[in-house]
Amino acid sequence: MSIETITLLTVFLPIIGSLTIPAAGLLSKPLRSLWSVLLAAATAILPLTLIPFALTGGELVIRKDLFLGLDFILVVDPLSVFMAIVSSAVGCMIVIYSIGYIHHDENQNEYYLMVLLFIGSMMGLVFSANLVFMYLFWEIIAICCWRLIGFYRLRDFVRKADKAFLVTFFGAVVMLLGFIQIYGQTHSFDLTQMRGTLIPGSAVLLILFGLFSKSATVPLHTWLPDAGVAPTTVTALLHAAVLVKIGVYAYARLFLATFQIPPLWQQIIPIMAVVSSLVAAGAAAVENDFKRLLAYSTISQIGYIFLGFAVANEAGISGSLRFILMHGLAKAGLFLCAGIVIHATHTKDIREMGGLIKTMPLTAVSFLFCAFSVIGIPPFGGFFSKFLVIMGTVKAGQVWLAAVALFTAVLTMYYLLKAFSLVFLGEAKKPAPEKTVSMVTVVTVLAVASILAGIFVAYPMKLVNIATTQISWWYR
Amino acid sequence: MSPNLLLAPILLPAALAVFFFLVPKRVRLVREILSVAGSLVLLYLAFALFEVKTLGLKIAWLGMGIDFDLRLFHFSSFILLGLAGFLFLISLYSTVKMKDNPRVREYYAYVFLSAALANGAVLSNNFVPLVFFWEGLLLTLYGLITIGGKEANRTAVKAFIISGFCDFAMILGIGLLWSITGTLTLSEISVKPEGLAAASFILMMIGAIGKAGAMPFHTWIPDAAIDAPVTFMAFMPAAFEKLLGIYLLARITLDLFQLEARTTMSIVLMSIGALTIVLAVLMALIQKDLKKLLSFHAVSQVGYMILGIGTGIPIGIAGGIFHMINHAMYKCGLFLSAGSVEHRAGTTELKKLGGLAREMPLTAAGFTVCALAISGVWPLNGFVSKEMVFRGALETGYKVFAVAAWVGAIFTFASFLKAGHSVFFGARSQDVPKVKESPSPLVIPILILALLCITFGVYNKLPLNEFIQPILAGHVEAGAHLDFTAHALSLLNPVAGISILCLIIALGLHLHGWNRAGKKAFLASEPIHNLPVLHNLYNLSEARFFDLYEQGVKFLIGLSTVLSRAVDRPIDYFFEKVVTAVGVKLTSLFQKAHNGQYANYLAWCLAGLLAIVGIVSLVVK
Repeated sequence: MSIETITLLTVFLPIIGSLTIPAAGLLSKPLRSLWSVLLAAATAILPLTLIPFALTGGELVIRKDLFLGLDFILVVDPLSVFMAIVSSAVGCMIVIYSIGYIHHDENQNEYYLMVLLFIGSMMGLVFSANLVFMYLFWEIIAICCWRLIGFYRLRDFVRKADKAFLVTFFGAVVMLLGFIQIYGQTHSFDLTQMRGTLIPGSAVLLILFGLFSKSATVPLHTWLPDAGVAPTTVTALLHAAVLVKIGVYAYARLFLATFQIPPLWQQIIPIMAVVSSLVAAGAAAVENDFKRLLAYSTISQIGYIFLGFAVANEAGISGSLRFILMHGLAKAGLFLCAGIVIHATHTKDIREMGGLIKTMPLTAVSFLFCAFSVIGIPPFGGFFSKFLVIMGTVKAGQVWLAAVALFTAVLTMYYLLKAFSLVFLGEAKKPAPEKTVSMVTVVTVLAVASILAGIFVAYPMKLVNIATTQISWWYR
Repeated sequence: MSPNLLLAPILLPAALAVFFFLVPKRVRLVREILSVAGSLVLLYLAFALFEVKTLGLKIAWLGMGIDFDLRLFHFSSFILLGLAGFLFLISLYSTVKMKDNPRVREYYAYVFLSAALANGAVLSNNFVPLVFFWEGLLLTLYGLITIGGKEANRTAVKAFIISGFCDFAMILGIGLLWSITGTLTLSEISVKPEGLAAASFILMMIGAIGKAGAMPFHTWIPDAAIDAPVTFMAFMPAAFEKLLGIYLLARITLDLFQLEARTTMSIVLMSIGALTIVLAVLMALIQKDLKKLLSFHAVSQVGYMILGIGTGIPIGIAGGIFHMINHAMYKCGLFLSAGSVEHRAGTTELKKLGGLAREMPLTAAGFTVCALAISGVWPLNGFVSKEMVFRGALETGYKVFAVAAWVGAIFTFASFLKAGHSVFFGARSQDVPKVKESPSPLVIPILILALLCITFGVYNKLPLNEFIQPILAGHVEAGAHLDFTAHALSLLNPVAGISILCLIIALGLHLHGWNRAGKKAFLASEPIHNLPVLHNLYNLSEARFFDLYEQGVKFLIGLSTVLSRAVDRPIDYFFEKVVTAVGVKLTSLFQKAHNGQYANYLAWCLAGLLAIVGIVSLVVK
């Protein structure tokens, strides 16, 4: 298969495939689940075949001419391939986990439809090199998200889903205004042709609304902890792997790989990132709801990713790219562990749990591994990403920001270990066994992946380094 | 010799660790034989590498100047040798002491993993692998402490967070150093600690002394003495962490930064050292539990090493490094003796013990030698290295530091007189039934260490010339004498005179307290405990008031509450209440506007169209 075919398949196989899921669901339930897993697996495998091409550092632009300058443009380069691999792989894991998690619930057809559509749109967003199509996929994802957060249909849950949708939609619309402003300047929506354009600060601000709302950065973040009412699988998909990474990916695609931004903003964005990281870590430290705690932790880690991109040097960018991968693995693991625990104990309050390491040892160890990775302890993968982001920040001359970021890491250590101690150690208040094999397998795989990604760090690093060089073309 | 051999000290213990973890618990013999044999092989390997002296291995790793760069040279090979030696003794000791522990699989895995990580950290010649191995030790630290039992988790978290904080400080320092020098290779860096580099120096120093357990980063060690297995105490805080921390501190002050005597940085280091010596030994003096008493000494003695290295004067630096290896030997020996007593008597509380020397003569002999060594009694190794530190401190001209070191010496000896007297001598206590000497795997390591203490003291020329002196080669001005052995044994000089006077004072204090307490040795420190101001300070300290961790956690919780209540919740309030209220108000306005009149709607549409055209034309200019 040519690279073009693979890319188009990666985008459209899950999107079109997702629409067939309700039909499959009419035939039989197991068939539908199997079909969903197959689609997700295919979506995860397809971008892997693009690695050899990406490793050459090449860039391929696929262009289908449409009317009004709204050409459908896909760009295959190391950055998009890397992002596609990470999000589709974690997405696939979550679909497998869903089989165990969701099989008692109603509306499963819609669930799998939305999840697959979500993954497909994510692929579309990642490869898009046209601002309008980027926005289009952006909003499809928001709609999927909205349906999925409100999946349990309780009155309060639906309200929280509305909140998430409205905040991200508001951000996206403001971002669209920014896109229009850029169009006014360049008369093009084609990212491949605008490389190196200096965009005005007002456009940066408008676009940042979109990025920050989607990536849940302070002050547009509070929808994310509330979105924890969704099924845990969705929370993992939203928080860990895909949704919150959209904003940071778009940041890399727009503000690093394409446009130049005014120097003032290069000073302000790192500060915003660090503040967001600190505030969220503080909120996590006082939180007692297991999923909200993890959600705040996600917001805090997203701050690091923004920080690495925003300081815009080699160490920072490669650290942040690696962060997307490592955080995706580890945080998905944490959420899914939380899912197993919540499933078994029927409570979300960590103070009401305890002693679970006796009855669910694999989950406990996986949680600890993923927590270490999120904190940034070697030999887990998270160490390298956090280390490089900090190094990049120091190298950019922002020593105080780096110090605050490291302080946030101490806070992270505190609240994650506190959560671990409360949930898994101490006296058993509600002993409950690990149940479904598929769920436990997935968290174990994620935990092992976190440690392997650290020990064999040199392998993903190759692709990351090539992507870094390719993004920072202005740096050469 | 092939450079790939440098990977062996890392990969061999790591492989053994994985094996120990996987092998079922009941396969005892295989595990024990493999652990002792494996550590012997490592020891042999370390000897072989010590003979080779120089070797380098560089593998491209992450780009950006981050290579997997290992370098063997005199200093690292010396530390490697020390690490392997202690690993062997601990493995031997653990065969008996840990055999019934329910988590013995994990225990062996963590011990050997620690060895792998420590070897890696010592060999690294690039900061990134250095931090990788160094910070990785947090995991085994956490794991080993939790083996102590259910209550140990709190201490494990405490140790993890304190050490993590120090490691993060070091990372920041490394970042600064990277941006100053532009390289991450240790052997290429040599800067003066001024300006930003001074900040980097302080931060990296925090990493080093935090690992070594200096004040104020020590507070988990006394807690661990109670919660964690005693083998862990002998292994990590007594031996491994001292070797690593002081190794890095010496590298920082000798190689990475040019620390000069009588500069601000030197005085900072010496002050930390002096404070650690005095404060920790005062805490040690009043302890009522042998393990806890020893743990405070593990902190106090770090002070001598830091003070010695901080002087920036050759004899002081050499003394600090020599004290490191000496301390590792006698403190490991002391903890192992405490473990041996615990093994037979079932307790280490001083009150319940007494007169064990008759029943456990070998343990008592080992303990006595090590205790005399740590107190700096002639002619044991502690005497030699302490003398060198005293001289270094005096040579800087700041006599106050030497005085602090001497004060430390007084109380060190006093507290060991109390400990030894309470456990092994005096009247046989009635709380403990009749015991017999511990089995040989427990006694042999203690005796080996005691013997080494004697050897390194009496024949101090041997280690000083073989191990210590070459470390300083190239760091002393040309022509300066590098012979530290000349005076080391002489008793007839004023410095040694004062030291011996200190010992006599200590003996006097002990006898005084012993008499006052009605010949109860474990109460011999009470006269000092009850001194007016000191008593209050002791009470505050026992209430953990001076515990940086306890205060720090309070600060973290306070800060988090503030961040959550003052930033996060108000933002959410804005979205939840303000935005919705405004929305409701606006829609009610619009509702009123929809009054069913056709002309009205038409006007709305036209106005809206105009507005849209206006905005678009403004934006797309």
